[in-house]
Amino acid sequence: MRLNGEWLQCVDGDIRPVIYGELLSSDGIWRGLEFLVDTGADRTVFSATALKRSMLSHFPPSIPIGGFGGVAETVVIQAQFRFSRDDGGTAVFRGQFAACTQVDALEMSVLGRDVLDMFALIVDRRADVLAIIGQNHTYAIQQQR
Amino acid sequence: MIRQLGNAEYKPPVIEVFELTDPQELEQARLQREQSDRNSKWLQQHITEVYAPANRGKIVCIAGEEAFFGDTVEEVAARATAAHPDDKGSFMRYIPRQKMTWIYAT
Repeated sequence: MRLNGEWLQCVDGDIRPVIYGELLSSDGIWRGLEFLVDTGADRTVFSATALKRSMLSHFPPSIPIGGFGGVAETVVIQAQFRFSRDDGGTAVFRGQFAACTQVDALEMSVLGRDVLDMFALIVDRRADVLAIIGQNHTYAIQQQR
Repeated sequence: MIRQLGNAEYKPPVIEVFELTDPQELEQARLQREQSDRNSKWLQQHITEVYAPANRGKIVCIAGEEAFFGDTVEEVAARATAAHPDDKGSFMRYIPRQKMTWIYAT
């Protein structure tokens, strides 16, 4: 399985690793969203815009989520989101995830290590590659001569 | 940086991963992805206009290769959907009020 992301311009022209996905809303519609691929994030966290757009019911967090600016106001949602695979298939992830309640807390949702640790991850800005790989895919590092 | 705070006894929730197998659902997902790719490409080509100072602190929805700005998700979604009801590949971002550099730290 290979899930391809892209290096995209974000605020102020900064180029960041982003993967597009879709979150299943409470009305049964898959709605698009972008995830920042963040190897420094312990957990996947949905932005407040994604939370509100999904209309998913939520409940208080069992543990707090902190960022560089301190503890963020979050809730827990039972969610399903999906990514397109490079072979035309679709991978769906289902579980409990955190979501921000303050719109200005995140520019976009964050894909953290709770998901990323299940796969290998290639984050290569120079080669313009962002790929989440697993199952029958692998990668090789070669020394150029 | 996003850190999970709490005690050592905390066990993170289980995440299930599975594949879509229904051909109709797969086709819908493929079409949605095509639309989102077009919207993403459009955003990259118009990033300077979208992130203009006047739009700081706003929510933007990219739909039908067009940007819709507003202060609430509901307002922006309603305008984007009214203008492009057939576009299933829209997505939103929040435009931060001020320029900042994000770092990883512990």
